[in-house]
Amino acid sequence: MAKRDAPTLSESKPARLRAHAARANPELLPVAVVLACAALLIIATKILNPGSSLTQQLSAVLVTSIFLVVASFGQGLTILLGGIDLSIGVVAGLSAMMISVLTNGQNASLPWAVPATLAFCAAIGMINGLGIALAKVPPFIMTLASGITFFGVGLGFTSGLAQRPVAPALQALMSGHWLGVPIPIYLIAGFVVIAAIFQNGTAEGRQLYAIGSGPRAASVLGLPISGLTILAYALSGLCAGVSGLLLAGYSSAATLDIGDPLLLPTIAAVVIGGARVVGGKGIYLGTFAGAIFLSALETVITVLSLSQGLRNIIEGVIIVGALLLQSERWGALRRWSN
Amino acid sequence: MSLATRLRPARGAAIAVLIYLVMYLVYAISEASATSVFAITNLLDNTIVLAIAAAGLTLVVLTGEFDLSGIGVIAIANVVVATTSVGILGWFGALVAVVLIGAAVGLINGWLVVGLGLQSLAVTIGTMIACEGVALVILAAPGGEVSDTVANGLTGDIADVVPVAAVIIVGVLMLWFVFARTRLGIAIYAVGSDENAAGLSGLNVRRTKLLTFVLAGAAYGCAGYLLSAQTGSGDPRASNTFLLFMYAAVAIGGTSLAGGRGGVFGSVVGAGILTVMQKMLFALGAASFYTSVFSGIIMLVALFVGNLSVLRLRRRRRGGAEWQSATPRP
Repeated sequence: MAKRDAPTLSESKPARLRAHAARANPELLPVAVVLACAALLIIATKILNPGSSLTQQLSAVLVTSIFLVVASFGQGLTILLGGIDLSIGVVAGLSAMMISVLTNGQNASLPWAVPATLAFCAAIGMINGLGIALAKVPPFIMTLASGITFFGVGLGFTSGLAQRPVAPALQALMSGHWLGVPIPIYLIAGFVVIAAIFQNGTAEGRQLYAIGSGPRAASVLGLPISGLTILAYALSGLCAGVSGLLLAGYSSAATLDIGDPLLLPTIAAVVIGGARVVGGKGIYLGTFAGAIFLSALETVITVLSLSQGLRNIIEGVIIVGALLLQSERWGALRRWSN
Repeated sequence: MSLATRLRPARGAAIAVLIYLVMYLVYAISEASATSVFAITNLLDNTIVLAIAAAGLTLVVLTGEFDLSGIGVIAIANVVVATTSVGILGWFGALVAVVLIGAAVGLINGWLVVGLGLQSLAVTIGTMIACEGVALVILAAPGGEVSDTVANGLTGDIADVVPVAAVIIVGVLMLWFVFARTRLGIAIYAVGSDENAAGLSGLNVRRTKLLTFVLAGAAYGCAGYLLSAQTGSGDPRASNTFLLFMYAAVAIGGTSLAGGRGGVFGSVVGAGILTVMQKMLFALGAASFYTSVFSGIIMLVALFVGNLSVLRLRRRRRGGAEWQSATPRP
C-alpha cells in the first residue's frame, strides 16, 4: 500500500492529487470516504452525548468493532472468491461455548483450550472449503448447511447449559488497558496489518483475486484453486473462532447463539468496503472501513436512546445509503478515469 | 435452456419428493395417529408459512438474485394482522394490507437492485433490518389479537375432512404451474439462465427482475398473514429464525442459487421436508437438536444428488464442459 501511495505525496494540487490517487489505486478512495463517514458518525455521537470525550467515543467504537473487524476478514476472503460464508455466526457461537466449557471459568486450561478451540473452528471452515472445492457444492448452500448442522451438534453437546462463565484472562484481555489504551485496539491494529498484508501483499492473496475474477483463466494458469479455496474457508472459520473467543471475553458469559448477530454485518461490511459479491474485487482495508462504519453506526444509534424499532429503521436505511453512495462513487470514478 | 428441458419436472424436485415420502412413511410407521385428519392438518399448518415464504423467495432466486428481506416483511405482516384484523381493517382488509405492504417492500428492493444497480445480497440485508424496525415500531412487544375468522378459518378443516392448509398449498402449486408458462414465468428462467442472452433476445431483464421482487414481497406478506393465523397473536421477532430455513427449503427443493434452474414446486416440498422431519424425529424419540443436524445433512444430500444429475446432463450436452455453478454470472 505504502509504496503505491508514495508518488501521490509529491503532487501539490489537490485535484491532480485526487486524480492521481484514483489512478494509482482506485480502491483506496472509497475506503477513505467510508472511514470519513465513520468519523462523522463518531463526531455525531460526541455531539449527542456531550458528557463524553471524543477519544472515549473513538475507543468505544473501536473496541466493539473488533468482532466484526476479525470475522469480516474471513467473510471478505470467501466473497473475494465469489463465494460466501454463512456459518460465521454459528462458528463464533461454538467457539465461545467451547472455550468456556473447556476452561470452566479457570485460567489454568487456557494454554491448550484456546488452540483446541481455534483448531476446531478452522476445521469447520476446512470442511466448508472441502465441500465447495472438491464436491462442488455452491458456497451459499455448503456453509448454510454446515452452519445449521454444527449448530445442532453444539446444541447436543451443551444441552441444558444456557450460559457459561468465561475464563478471567479472556475477560481481562477485552477490558484491560496498556499505556492508557484499551488492549483490543492493539489487537485490531496488529490484525489489520497482518490481514491487509496477507490479502493484498502476498502471492496467495493475489492468487485469490485471480481465482475470483476468472476461475477458468486461473485454472488454465495452473493456480492451486482447490487448495486456495480450502485455505480461504479455513481462514474464515479461524477468524470466526477468534471473534467468538473475543465475544466470550467481552460479554463474560457465553451462549451458543452469541455469534448470530455477527453474520449479516460481516457481509454488509465487506460490501460497503467496496467488494463485489461475484468476486475478484475489494481490498481488506475496505472491509476494515466497512466494519468500523457499522460499529460507529451502532454506537451513534444507541446513544440516540430511541426505541429498538426506530434504531433498526435508521440502521437499515443507512446501510442501503452507504451502498448507494458507494455505487455512485464507482460511477464517478469511472468518469474521472475516462 | 430449451422449453422442453425447462418444463420437465426438475430432477432436484423429484429427489425432494422422494425424501419427503420416505420421511412421512417413517413418521407414519412410528406414530399410529400420524395419518389422522388432525395430525395431517397440524403437519400442513406447520408447513404452510415456510412453504409460501419459500415460494416467493424462489422467484427471486430463479433470476439469480438474493432476497433476505423476507423475514422483515413477515414480521411487519404479522404485527399488522395482530393490530388491525380485529377492528379497523377486518380480516379481509388486513389481508389486502399485508399483500400491498409486501409488494411495496419488494418494489423498493427491486428499484434499489435493478434501478440503482446495487448488490441484492447487501441491499436486502438493509431492507430486512429496516422492516424489522418497522414491525417493532408498530408493535414493540409480543401481543395484539388476530381475528377469529383468520385464526380459525385458516387452520381448520373444510367439512372436517380437507385441511384448509392443503387447499392453499394446492392452490399455490396450481397458480405456479400456470404462472411458469406465462410470458413472465418463462422470462424469469431465461433471465436466470443467461441474463445477457435474455436481454439480447429482447426480454426486458430489468422489468422481469423488478416484478419477481414485487411478487416475492407479496408472497412474504401472505406468509406473514398465515403465520398470524397459526400463532393467533403478534410477535415482531417471531420470524427471526426463519431466514436460513427459507433458503434451506429453496435449496432442498432443487432450485439453483445461481438462477435459472428449479421452481416453486420443489421449494414447497422442501418446506414440507423441513417440517415433516421434525415430526419424524420427534416420533422416533430423537432429541430436538438432531433436527438441526438432519436439516443440514439433508440439504447437502438433496443438493449433491441434484448436482450429479445436472453434471451428467451438461456433460452429455456439451461434451464434458466444466460446471461452475458456484460463481454467478457477472
